[in-house]
Amino acid sequence: MNTTNGKVLNRYHVIFLAQSIMIGTGILSLPQKLSSMGYTQTFMPLLFGVIASLTLFAMVWLCSKFPNDDLFRMNEILLGKWLGKFINILIIIQFIVFSAGIISNYMHLIQSTALQEQTITLPVLCFLLLLIYIVSGGIKSIARFCMMTFFITIGVIYFTRWAIEKGDPSHFLPLFNFTPNEFYEALKQGYFSILGYELILFYFPYIIDQKKAFRHSLIGIWISIFLCFITTAISVMYYSEWQLKNVEFSVLNLFKAGEFTFIERIDIIGITLWVLLILSSVTAYVWCAKRGVDTLLKKKKQNYQLYIIAFIIFIIIKMPFSREFQEKLFMASNYMGYLLVIWPVFLILIYIIRKKQVQV
Amino acid sequence: MNEIPEQIVAKLKQEINEVDDVKLKMIATEEGDVTVIYFSSLIEKMTLQTMVTIPLANNLKQIHQMAQYVDPKDVQGVVKKLNAGQTLLFFHETNALLSVDTYSAPTRAITDTETESTVIGPQDAFTESLETNISLVRRRIQSSMLKNENRIVGSEANIKISIMYMDNIVSHENLDDLRNRIDQVEYPLFTDISVLKQLIEDNPLSPFPQYYMTVRPDSICRYLLDGRIVVFMDNSQLAIVCPTSFFEMFVSIEDYYNRWTTASLLRMLRFFGFFLTIIITPMYISALTFHPEILPYELLLNLQESRSKVPFPPLIEVLFIELIIEVLREAGSRMPAKVGQTIGIVGGIVIGTAAVEAGLLSNILIVLVATSALLSFLPPIFLMSNTSRFIRYIFILSAGLFGLFGQMLAFAWLIHHLLSLKSLGTHYMTPAIPRKPTDLLDSVIRFPTKYLRNKSGISKAQKK
Repeated sequence: MNTTNGKVLNRYHVIFLAQSIMIGTGILSLPQKLSSMGYTQTFMPLLFGVIASLTLFAMVWLCSKFPNDDLFRMNEILLGKWLGKFINILIIIQFIVFSAGIISNYMHLIQSTALQEQTITLPVLCFLLLLIYIVSGGIKSIARFCMMTFFITIGVIYFTRWAIEKGDPSHFLPLFNFTPNEFYEALKQGYFSILGYELILFYFPYIIDQKKAFRHSLIGIWISIFLCFITTAISVMYYSEWQLKNVEFSVLNLFKAGEFTFIERIDIIGITLWVLLILSSVTAYVWCAKRGVDTLLKKKKQNYQLYIIAFIIFIIIKMPFSREFQEKLFMASNYMGYLLVIWPVFLILIYIIRKKQVQV
Repeated sequence: MNEIPEQIVAKLKQEINEVDDVKLKMIATEEGDVTVIYFSSLIEKMTLQTMVTIPLANNLKQIHQMAQYVDPKDVQGVVKKLNAGQTLLFFHETNALLSVDTYSAPTRAITDTETESTVIGPQDAFTESLETNISLVRRRIQSSMLKNENRIVGSEANIKISIMYMDNIVSHENLDDLRNRIDQVEYPLFTDISVLKQLIEDNPLSPFPQYYMTVRPDSICRYLLDGRIVVFMDNSQLAIVCPTSFFEMFVSIEDYYNRWTTASLLRMLRFFGFFLTIIITPMYISALTFHPEILPYELLLNLQESRSKVPFPPLIEVLFIELIIEVLREAGSRMPAKVGQTIGIVGGIVIGTAAVEAGLLSNILIVLVATSALLSFLPPIFLMSNTSRFIRYIFILSAGLFGLFGQMLAFAWLIHHLLSLKSLGTHYMTPAIPRKPTDLLDSVIRFPTKYLRNKSGISKAQKK
């Protein structure tokens, strides 16, 4: 297993880490999240891509100043030990809650489509065991898994064929038919779906070719953006505006549009196959959380932190609170995710101010 | 006779006490009396006659030319030589101890391959004799770069093994790694090279075989020329090839003898057959237990009709028949050939007809199970087909637990497990990792032979 501290990620790993972490459950409900803009949502993912590229640039710039440190260390260096540690704890909590949010969302989806007669306790446990197994292999192992999942799941796109055939391209027009408010709402709701690339702040020290990390990550991001674009475009073609607004996980219904003679409900196969994508994004978040705990405790090469993190995730998913509270919590962690995207910009400012003090 | 030799003989006798097949014979020659000591079980009478008895009587010069001098004080060394099938000659007049190599233990003739037979291509297979096996390889690769290193493993039995490689192609890093692993092995019970293989594998706990094993000399030569390392063991028909990849477990040497179109077709069958065999019966469970809605109405009706008499849930039904097939296979493979056939027929009829009529199984399931059982026998490496059957049970149980979701979890486990496996320090998942574009020419689709010039990525060969 690759748990060495050396540089282990080559360019393919970087591309597909960026790509696979981004595609989680987000894309499944992306058309609904963007529905405030109605049919003009098609090009939103492209705008997201531009924003992501700009923020990625800030991240990589900051990382290149500290080539051997991740964000946890950077916080401590730039903000001082105690403030840095405090921020780090917040980030760790954010990652754990965020991962729990992804898993919880997915599990509820599974429960409502595939496992209608079961509680999700046992499936969640099995999922977490698998998660521990993959994370304990280290970041390279996660990167490889991401790569495989991309190539295994990319075939799912084929199932949207019928939706394209039945769809109406005239829905794309007219362009720019929205108010600023609708635009803001869509931006706020939809950007979650492409979160994930910010984890480069944490795996950057492991990248072999750090100078080209920006380019490689960018390729990964744009692959995902392209997939999101296809998703929204096909949804816009296929659905009515009402459906876009009210059908949760509308992408699944795209799969249902057609059928084979031997399989009736392709969406069930699609949604269960989605577990690979969920695993690839959650493992990365959990790995980062574990790294954070490691830097807090200054202990390495032990796996018990991982078990504790998995246990906390399990508690969060199964906690005896109402679904509304859970949703609020996950929503809060999503907004924290936005903060994390902006965070490097803030750190860059501090870096410029304290440049002389922090240069080692 | 002076004292020293007597002591030696006494010591020797002590060492080989109660070994009845040691023969001590006194022969009178021109140079005085000679005691001949040998293991009658390791030496044929004819060999002894031509190599020792006749030359002793007529032409002592010949003996001196052939023989090696041995230090009589090194009793252990002397015993070792005896055990290796050499004949010791003790000259009483001169106190000299000589050894003549007369090893001629009974060996089997080279026969057809039984486990990996092909229609086209050479038919000879390795035997249990190390020398024969090496000669079979040397006959095909006539190059001074083909090296073989002998080692002894097994503290009790002193089994000879031989590491073979092409010196100019092999990765010396791999070679050193393998040597280290073999040197660190401490295990007394080597009865076949499969035992050694399990001890020097990267991940002994994994269900997947991490080294290729074959009885075919042509296959071995192909791998040697690709820069792999081959290990032979005396008394073992199999040879192991390392490193190898998951994908190569589905490659038969016949693929290179067939035309590329046929070869590609068969390879695809074998490769995707592995995934089909672990998916078919779990799908049946998932579809019937958790997601009947994924099946079209007519098919579902058909299935329910055939299952109408069956009193068990699908999971039990599938486990029941899968286990019966395992039992049939196991019983058939251990029985004498004549009885084995009967078992096959009886099993076929009992399961095929009687079990369905009795309402124990649905006949659609029988079709599925039979197909998946057949598919599991497709990999040319028997170990891999065993693995696929084992993996299938994991999938069956996970399908029984969570249906399709369980299957996908098991699938994710399988992918990650395969990705983390290594064979002699190299990744098991070529051509996915290590990536070498030319490997794709010889992957699921085998390109026409003239394009297959490059060494594969997994062998880390010196020559590209």
